[in-house]
Amino acid sequence: MYTMNKILLIAMMILLAGCSVGEKRVKIFSLEEPRAKLNLPNPEALDLEKIKWIIITSENADEVFAKLEAEGIDPVLFGLTDKEFELLAKNFAQIRQKLQETNNLLEEYKKYYEETE
Amino acid sequence: MLITLVMVVGLAGGAAYIYKLKADNATLKANQIELEKGIAEQTKVLEQQKKDFEAILESNKKLNVLISTFKKDLDELDKRFNKGKRDIGKLAIDRTGAIERIINKGADNAARCVELASGAEHTEEELKATKKSEINPECPSLANPNYVHYE
Repeated sequence: MYTMNKILLIAMMILLAGCSVGEKRVKIFSLEEPRAKLNLPNPEALDLEKIKWIIITSENADEVFAKLEAEGIDPVLFGLTDKEFELLAKNFAQIRQKLQETNNLLEEYKKYYEETE
Repeated sequence: MLITLVMVVGLAGGAAYIYKLKADNATLKANQIELEKGIAEQTKVLEQQKKDFEAILESNKKLNVLISTFKKDLDELDKRFNKGKRDIGKLAIDRTGAIERIINKGADNAARCVELASGAEHTEEELKATKKSEINPECPSLANPNYVHYE
């Protein structure tokens, strides 16, 4: 009887220990996924149309208009004074510089945020 | 009997104390490893911060250089119109054909500058230009990176 109890006790211990193996534990782990790069294509460079400036003075005006008519171009010109032409040239230069500055800033931002990652 | 009991208790106490010391030692070792890891991480962060500051300074420097060249280019443009007592209007009356050619050449150069500013590729000639006669005088710093300004 004593031996029987012993066997029962050991069997119960084994059975209970078996319960501790049971289900596997769920493991939760996190992986840091880096943010996708924006990678927008660079804007296409400008390809500007060529324009021709015509200088008209009181002396050559008739000649200029006659030449335009001979070439089949409407004899009309949109004029600027010498001072206004100077201002237009300066405005054009400022627009170009702003474009260059903005492109440069964009490049620097791209370099800073994409090369240090 | 009592002495034996005291001895046993004493030994047990000693043994427990040694176990405690061992456990403390293990904890301290683990702490040390964590601290070293923390220091290594902090050093890495500081190095990255240093690199970032250097990159920011470099970018600012580049931008300032660029802005100073803009100022120079605008001054040069102003000089071309108003150097000395130059009056482009009077010149155009006196030498209409020549000024027209100059104006058209200048306009073409200025348009090329805009194309380059928008990201157009440089041509071989633009890159090779080192003499004043070869450069685009509207924006030499942009159009001719190998040109060194001289008077």
